[in-house]
Amino acid sequence: MTTLWRKAIRDFWQERARTALVVLAIALGISAFAAVLSSYAILTRELDQGYLATNPASAVLRVDSIDNDLVKAILQNPEVSDAEPRRTISGQIKAGPVQWRNLILFVVEDYGNIRVSRLVPERGAWPPATGEILIERDAFQVAKANIGDAVTVKTANGVEQPLVISGSVHDVGQAQARMENIVYGYINLATLVQLGEEPRFDQLNILVAQNRFDEDHIRRVADDVEQLIKSRGHEVRRVEIPRPGKHPHSDLTGILLLAMSSFGLFVLVLSGILVINLLTAMMASQVRQIGVMKAIGGTRGQVAGIYLGQALFLGIAAVIVSIPLGIVGSRALCRYMAMFLNFDINSFAVPIWVYLLVALVGVVAPMIAAAYPVWRGTATPVRVALSDFGLSQANFGANVFDRMLSRIGGTFSLIAFAIRNSFRRRARLVLTLLTLAAGGLFFLSALNIRASMVNTLDRMFAARKFDLSVFFANPYEFEKIQKAIGDTAGVTRAEGWFASEASLGERRFTVLALPPDTQLMEFEIIEGRKLTPQDTDAIVINNALAGREPKMRVGETVVLRIGLEESTWRVVGVAREAFSPGAVGYIPMSFMEKRQPGMVNSLRLALDNTDPDSISAVKAELDRNLEEQGVRAHGSSTKAEARFGFDQHMLMIYVFLIVMSVIVGGVGGLGLMTTMSLNVLERRREMGVMRALGATPRIVWLMIVAEGVVIGVLSWTIAALLAWPISKAIGDSFVRVLFRSGLDFTFEPLGLVIWMVVSIGLSAVASFLPAWRASRITVREALAYE
Amino acid sequence: MISLNHVSKTYETPAGKFAALKDIDLEIRTGEFVGVVGKSGSGKSTLLNMVAGIDRPSTGSVAVAGTEIHALSENKLAAWRGRNVGFVFQFFQLLPTLTAAENVMLPMDFSKTIPLRERRTRAVALLDRVGVERQADKLPATLSGGEQQRVAIARALANEPQLVLADEPTGNLDSVTAASILDLFRDMANRGTTVVIATHEADIARVIDRVIEISDGTIPHG
Repeated sequence: MTTLWRKAIRDFWQERARTALVVLAIALGISAFAAVLSSYAILTRELDQGYLATNPASAVLRVDSIDNDLVKAILQNPEVSDAEPRRTISGQIKAGPVQWRNLILFVVEDYGNIRVSRLVPERGAWPPATGEILIERDAFQVAKANIGDAVTVKTANGVEQPLVISGSVHDVGQAQARMENIVYGYINLATLVQLGEEPRFDQLNILVAQNRFDEDHIRRVADDVEQLIKSRGHEVRRVEIPRPGKHPHSDLTGILLLAMSSFGLFVLVLSGILVINLLTAMMASQVRQIGVMKAIGGTRGQVAGIYLGQALFLGIAAVIVSIPLGIVGSRALCRYMAMFLNFDINSFAVPIWVYLLVALVGVVAPMIAAAYPVWRGTATPVRVALSDFGLSQANFGANVFDRMLSRIGGTFSLIAFAIRNSFRRRARLVLTLLTLAAGGLFFLSALNIRASMVNTLDRMFAARKFDLSVFFANPYEFEKIQKAIGDTAGVTRAEGWFASEASLGERRFTVLALPPDTQLMEFEIIEGRKLTPQDTDAIVINNALAGREPKMRVGETVVLRIGLEESTWRVVGVAREAFSPGAVGYIPMSFMEKRQPGMVNSLRLALDNTDPDSISAVKAELDRNLEEQGVRAHGSSTKAEARFGFDQHMLMIYVFLIVMSVIVGGVGGLGLMTTMSLNVLERRREMGVMRALGATPRIVWLMIVAEGVVIGVLSWTIAALLAWPISKAIGDSFVRVLFRSGLDFTFEPLGLVIWMVVSIGLSAVASFLPAWRASRITVREALAYE
Repeated sequence: MISLNHVSKTYETPAGKFAALKDIDLEIRTGEFVGVVGKSGSGKSTLLNMVAGIDRPSTGSVAVAGTEIHALSENKLAAWRGRNVGFVFQFFQLLPTLTAAENVMLPMDFSKTIPLRERRTRAVALLDRVGVERQADKLPATLSGGEQQRVAIARALANEPQLVLADEPTGNLDSVTAASILDLFRDMANRGTTVVIATHEADIARVIDRVIEISDGTIPHG
């Protein structure tokens, strides 16, 4: 090792406390980056591998009925390696005496031989015996039941039937039950018969023999199979082709994690600012040493190499600290995400490319940050460098701004001094403010976005004037339903709606037919107008549909296929449903009235009392009264349930932003600490003079802390000024990714108060140690210091 | 060895132009021990800086050991200086975080003229020559002023330069120590190295071959 390296290392060692601060700050950035990046690698891998391990269906065909001969005929096709019939049927499940919950039942022909879209038995019985039901492991919370419990199940056309929960399964490819608020149950064919349903299969899961990941190929094979089924006199209702080899949540998870890792990079950039501050100060304090080295034969490159070498050490040290931290972080993040997405992680192994990328970024970033101060610091000509009289020659007072500052503070000299001192190293101040303000911005954004989301949700749910929705498996006469409602206490208004499916070309969306005088839906029209009682062929679409179908613009006419017939519609308006992910069109009831007079297939109810217990009571009573009228409800949802899912998503964003602000605030605090310690270091002599003039250690201490607090207050001001536009931009982009919608922005004033307290506290804490050290400098030491 | 031709140096200062050197002609032979004597601000440091290539003349030319150094770039100059010139400063200017031996090795590391393995041995030998080999592994802060200047002299000799320049090398030392330091320079010159010392002290006359007096940027009897 040459003396050049030794100098680099020892200079750092001499300033180890400050160096440690900067390393810590960089390490925070790299750790965040490493944690998220490795989570991204682990999760996308495990998600897809776990999904692939279940042998997911290449295509799912919904057919009127499937028998063994049909399956055999399909298997004749060499392109199809496997085909397995299933039945999916919706119903309701009740664990206690009152509350029915939405249920999707999966009927499997032979649990001992599932070859496509495998289920993983978790606990209890396997396979389920007749009269037993298995529940998806994540759905127990929704069902509010345990293994061994007796439950009541009813399907759309069947009878209420008691079943026993005999075990739990893990259905990897299924959307998370908790988020969907649906119970997934698994039964055999005999149990289905007990439930009063016909023992037939209506869903065919097929697996292609080759090119399993080629979507076009799968589509061709599925077309062939569809033709074959049709040629045997069956009806194919729908063909679904999921993205081959990709877990349904794989993309969203990837996007979320990549967004988070860009945050890690952002923290790294902030910590780069600390490197700039540290090296600028270091270069300034070593001007004379630089001059000497050049005088005895060091070229600019060689001298710059020493200081760049120091940046390299910073990076290496930070990477060494960060990698274990990052791994710990990634495990926590992965576990959380795995729980959230309901899947198991078999291996937390981090691929080598993540280590390499993290190491590269961690080592290179501080060097990039150091490049400018080092290059500038080594530019000083030898003659000038040798005649440098040390530091604190910053020419304060040279411009208008300084003279303006010199009038601030009035008679209270301590504050005046603190304000002027904080402005002495302009570039350093700006950089420090930047990091601190960034922390404040994230914090204020987190609070503002949360407030805005609550506001948006409130508005969205305010448009829905109903408290309870009830869905029927089939259309029923509204007259009968009204009788049942009349017998039910606590209902203030009821409307019968008709939900069906429309398709525009290949793509489908829901259409809801509303009564002309609906009072339970108050549209927030953003373009055009709402439906009027005179409308017959008018359709109002929500923003999700408008965003998806550029053809459906206000004023345009489109041909839609609703049910089996095609009809022409005029798009008259676009309604905003902020967080509603589904594409929905609203049409006048008159359209359905002509086709199925007097019939409805869903119900919207406004209630007297809207607490969960009252709603449950109304629901139970209504269910009974409907049964008496021969009407069977097959699903329901309350406003609270509908809001739950949104709240879950919101909480995730909120927590993420708060964690971000803590990390960024931490980096900002470390930055301020570095700045204050550099400020103190450079002004040692000045402090000695002040001590000689009679300043007590306490006054010196107070002065430094006051200076730190001035910086804190300044950073708060910047954050407060920028919080509005920045939090709006962050909130909008998050909501766009998650819900394809905008936010009704509100500003949370409490955030300003909280952040004021935090930033003053943070800056006081950050300047505490440098101030204490400064106050301990003796007059002799300070004046002798060079 | 050293040849200055019509060298002038003018500095731009806020108070106007300041002529530090005025049309200097000067020849110094190889192995000569020369003292540049003058008052503070007379231009002796500037003259030394010209010879070391630390500063450039406004007009005129400077040739050292056959190299026209005023024509070299900053980086080339630094490399040239590392191999050909040893520099000793008034305030020693040892790098505080390097030990005595490492300070001596530093120019060798810059110039890379001496093989890596021999550098330490050579550094210790040089420290031995100036009488501080026992301080080889100490940091500058723990050395006395005289010891520090001896280390600085050893450092100036690191790459076996043909020329050693010293700016007020005894200015910060007591008279006994100063005398022993001057003896080291004399010894150096006796071994064939050209030595130029800038000083304002007159008692240097006892050791040097020639005095060049400088005042107000000119050499009256150049």
